[in-house]
Amino acid sequence: MNGWTLAATVGLAGGLGTALWGVATGPLRRRVVAQNLSTALACPGLLLLSQAYGRPSYVDLGLVLALLGPVGTLVFARLLADELAEDPPRAWGPTWAVAGLGAATVIALCVATGPSRAMVKLLVIGALLIGGNVIASRALSGGFRGVRRG
Amino acid sequence: MADAVIVVALLLVAASATVAVVTRDPVRQALVLAVLGVVLAVLFTVLQAPDVGLSQLAVGSALTPLLLMLTVRKVRRRGQEKGRGR
Repeated sequence: MNGWTLAATVGLAGGLGTALWGVATGPLRRRVVAQNLSTALACPGLLLLSQAYGRPSYVDLGLVLALLGPVGTLVFARLLADELAEDPPRAWGPTWAVAGLGAATVIALCVATGPSRAMVKLLVIGALLIGGNVIASRALSGGFRGVRRG
Repeated sequence: MADAVIVVALLLVAASATVAVVTRDPVRQALVLAVLGVVLAVLFTVLQAPDVGLSQLAVGSALTPLLLMLTVRKVRRRGQEKGRGR
């Protein structure tokens, strides 16, 4: 068991466990935030696993998750707009904390890969992950007025 | 020792599936199902089946919640129209 596997195990257990707890209990606004953060936490875990197994092609899973995770959250933001407008979620602290965790993971993996095409791919995934996460979080808190006409 | 990550993924799948069954409200159930889809994709990756994980991600994280939420919305609208008709 190398350090990458350990980091992936701890990150997935802690991150997804917390997200699962958040999505299982509490009011609706907490549940949608937890659902958003679960995708943002699973993506760095998948990237770490790809490094742990020494298989660069596994990075595609992280890429797909970074693309589709925010899409899933936007589905909820659009179709739950009425419920969320009464009680909008405000979770910028956790959002930026998770974004920082993702950035730290991507930077560590970039250092391990060295300058190459794989590093560019990792940087693209990191940018997609953080950008999509912030946009989805903003849509959930009612930042885009047009989304509210659900 | 490398099996620890498999055990973690299996426990997460078991926990999220149980929560999805226990939750009664369909809207909240859709949220739990989205998390379950992501956790299942992690389990498939850990078990060295990334191709299955890719399709699970595509279906589980965006498509299943979308279909569920659209259905819930349609059923609720029909219920409201029926209430008005009376």
